[in-house]
Amino acid sequence: MKLLPIMLFAAVSTAMLNGQAVAADGAKLFAEKTCTACHGKDAKTPLMPDYPKIAGQNEAYMIKQMNDIKSGARANGNSAAMKGVMVLVSDQDVKDIAAYVSKLKP
Amino acid sequence: MKKHLVIALALALTPVAAALAANPNVAEKKAGIEAKGYVWNDQSGGGEKIEALHKKGDVKAGKEAYEICGACHLPSGAGRPDGTFPQLAGQHATVIIKQIADIRGGLRDNPTMYPFAQTLTDAQELADVAAYIQTLCIPTDHGKGSGDAKLLAQGKELYVKECTTCHGANGEGDAKKFYPVLAGQHYKYLLRQVTDIRDGKRRNANPDMVKIVKKYSDKDLDAVVEYMSSISMPGSMCKAGAKKK
Repeated sequence: MKLLPIMLFAAVSTAMLNGQAVAADGAKLFAEKTCTACHGKDAKTPLMPDYPKIAGQNEAYMIKQMNDIKSGARANGNSAAMKGVMVLVSDQDVKDIAAYVSKLKP
Repeated sequence: MKKHLVIALALALTPVAAALAANPNVAEKKAGIEAKGYVWNDQSGGGEKIEALHKKGDVKAGKEAYEICGACHLPSGAGRPDGTFPQLAGQHATVIIKQIADIRGGLRDNPTMYPFAQTLTDAQELADVAAYIQTLCIPTDHGKGSGDAKLLAQGKELYVKECTTCHGANGEGDAKKFYPVLAGQHYKYLLRQVTDIRDGKRRNANPDMVKIVKKYSDKDLDAVVEYMSSISMPGSMCKAGAKKK
């Protein structure tokens, strides 16, 4: 019984923090799913000169590119390198990463 | 009519092939185990592998160079239990040099790793990063198999009978012969590699090993990998409770 208010409080604070939580998860995912290795920690210092800077890129565009590279629909250019890591990235991760990166300063 | 079609097709495809070869971030394939006259770990042609093997690796410089590797393989070298990125810590420097050189040379197909192998500037840096990786302790919390006792027993039998000659009783490999350390490697990575070696997809494979695993069924492979992922090398493993980097 004593636990109930604590649980309620926790639930409410989680809900309140949700907006921030998504951003935080995006940052974590961006590092964990090895995006940083090629695109740079700030998403704008790519490893190779012909890799894209993606900080501030359109969210919907990034979701489409990630999904197309994952499915193999896009197989040109450097997508071969990225396809190897896309097995790590779930549909939800794609959305969270795109949301996070789109909000970074270009 | 047919002849014309073939010519038209060939013409249409040529620019694509040329464009692929010209992409600096995709390896140009070199003939491997699928080709006649393949020599495993060929050292006759010189090249950066030989050069790197003769250089003395600088661990400190290697630590700096490793930073870029750590983004995928993690600073500890532990890689990922899901088998996408192998555990590297404690691997023989010779093995690291050979594998990176093979990836860079288009002999081991790995499009994800290739751009990174390319960023290593020269043979000295290759030697440095390999020397550093070799000094890392082997994490003990790597990906393991199902834990099925029967499978483990079958795997042990196979391993003892057919794998120890090269990879050692504790999975310690052989630095001089370029045989990798297996202890501490992720179950899923081992299974993927040994399957690729059996099926001819790992084109820089050792034909002596192919001969052995060729006769293995999927279940045999699973069993032997179950056992491999359970072995440990005394003295090379990370101490229990030690803080992970």
